[in-house]
Amino acid sequence: MSANKILIVDDEEIIVRLLSMSLRSDGYETLSAYNGEQGLEVFKSESPDIVVTDIKMPGMDGLELLKKIKQIDVEKEVIIVTGHGDIDSTITALQYGASDFINKPVRDEALAIALERAKAKIDIREKLKEYTENLEVKIAEATEDIRRKSNFQRLLIRSSNDAIVAFDHDWKVVVYNPEAAKMFGEAAKDVRNIMTIDDLYTPKIAQIFKNQAKKEKKQSALPWRENTINAKDGRKIPVRYTSNVLYKEGNFVGTVSFFQDLTEIKRLETELVQSERLAAVGQTVSGLAHYVKNILIGLQGGSYVVDVGIAKNNTEKLKIGWQTIKRNIKRIGDLTQDLLTYSKQREPESEPCLPNDIADDVIELVTDVAGLNGVDISKEFDNSIGEVMADSQTIHRSLLNLINNAIDACVEDENVAKKHKVTVKSYRDKNNHFCFEVEDNGCGMDKDIQKQLFDPMFSSKGGKGTGLGLLVTSKLIEEHKGVIETKTSPGSGSTFTIKLPYEKAN
Amino acid sequence: MSKKVLVVDDDQDVRSFVVTVLEENQYIPLVAQDGIEGFEMIEKEKPDLVILDVLMPRGSGIRLYRKLKTDENLNQIPIIMFTGIALRSFLKSQKALDEFKGGEIPMPDIYLEKPVGPEELVAAIKKKIG
Repeated sequence: MSANKILIVDDEEIIVRLLSMSLRSDGYETLSAYNGEQGLEVFKSESPDIVVTDIKMPGMDGLELLKKIKQIDVEKEVIIVTGHGDIDSTITALQYGASDFINKPVRDEALAIALERAKAKIDIREKLKEYTENLEVKIAEATEDIRRKSNFQRLLIRSSNDAIVAFDHDWKVVVYNPEAAKMFGEAAKDVRNIMTIDDLYTPKIAQIFKNQAKKEKKQSALPWRENTINAKDGRKIPVRYTSNVLYKEGNFVGTVSFFQDLTEIKRLETELVQSERLAAVGQTVSGLAHYVKNILIGLQGGSYVVDVGIAKNNTEKLKIGWQTIKRNIKRIGDLTQDLLTYSKQREPESEPCLPNDIADDVIELVTDVAGLNGVDISKEFDNSIGEVMADSQTIHRSLLNLINNAIDACVEDENVAKKHKVTVKSYRDKNNHFCFEVEDNGCGMDKDIQKQLFDPMFSSKGGKGTGLGLLVTSKLIEEHKGVIETKTSPGSGSTFTIKLPYEKAN
Repeated sequence: MSKKVLVVDDDQDVRSFVVTVLEENQYIPLVAQDGIEGFEMIEKEKPDLVILDVLMPRGSGIRLYRKLKTDENLNQIPIIMFTGIALRSFLKSQKALDEFKGGEIPMPDIYLEKPVGPEELVAAIKKKIG
């Protein structure tokens, strides 16, 4: 808005009229008054933007009028018209807040300049006011926004299904949401601003977070990891967690960590695995029927041979028949054992044992069968393995299965000219495992067989396999937190490797 | 003169059973553990009858059967298939092989699905070679 309304106050009527004419011709709207009192009246009723007043007037003079006007509205511009050399009045007028001075006789030019200046002042003031008002609104808006966002964030943190814990740069807990309280079992009031990372976390997790903060210079999140935490009441909770190091202007200011309780998921997983396993046993039944039929055939054949031996009093026949029966009884025993191992949940029993010795026992068990089939068995053991904490049954069963498979793979090989051999190696790898490698130079496996290797009821041995051996082996190894690996090439052999966590026995 | 019967089976239990049945019925038993050994034995001993398993390592019974049936000198030897494999699966594999290799191989004279008792086995042998 531009200041356009001007009040002219002078006791000399002719001057008022002349000035009015001149200003109107410049596009201003003018008001007139001929003394101080009248000027004040008009000012009050018309509220002009600028007042031009003579200083010397009978009754209320210019200074008095100026004072009154400033009392009413300090922002109004008042231009004082003075006579030459009237320094004292000029100073007083300045003290009262006059905006400008013009000397008498008033020249149009000087007035125009003074008005322009006054107008400019008004403009600036208005703009300033506008800005100030805007600024207040903007600050109010921003404050509201921040409040809303911070409320939202607080709500978000409070209602999150993840446990959220944040630490400041001294590793003191500053954020600790209700889910965290539930997970760690410590009340928020005992933790927030009181505990440090070492009070709350297991040393292992605390160390991971500290390392992360030390190492990284840019803000980035850890990949999700799994671990177990100890709650206050001693519960061990499987969790998935990640953390983010926080930086402000390149300086470390803290860490925020997120935990998800996996108890329920783990329980469901276990249930699922269990039910899948039962289903697999169901599927295996058709494959098994075939295997059981073969055992039955063996038993019937054996009893016929025994009958002949008894009737003819032939010890040789008795011996052969009885061996057949015993072999088939053993097959039933093995099958039952496999089925039980596979269908039941079993915790590996960690005990001090000597893996190399176990492997020796297994090799001794199969040497005869291997020899009969022209397969040479050799071993290369790493004696540094020594005594470890492990489940000896897992090692025994797994090796027996793998070595038997290796012998079978040699027997199956159509290349009879080949000198068949099975090599059992033990060694320690750099990931803290002790490992057994069973290598054969038998028939190998094509892609189809490899794909189905660990499927229940799958057997590449016709009716001679239960389809459970590798399944049982992989289950045992998994339960022991180990891994099983396969390498093979059709026609030149296969290598199976089992790797189990190495823990030295005391 | 007693007749020679060859049993080709990788299963030791089956071999000792069949051998005993043969001995009890005055046949001369011969044994082979797989298809390759079986063929060598047939060429050498010229048995009067072959009792043949289907699933064996090193040259399956299916392969040996086809080899015998396409060999002018050996295709007159009667064969008893003696196996845990259902006849339907066996015929299916034969048909697939016929189509694949061209020509038609005659079906086995006698097909016995295990388990087979001694009487049934003897009856089958007698039917072929007396």
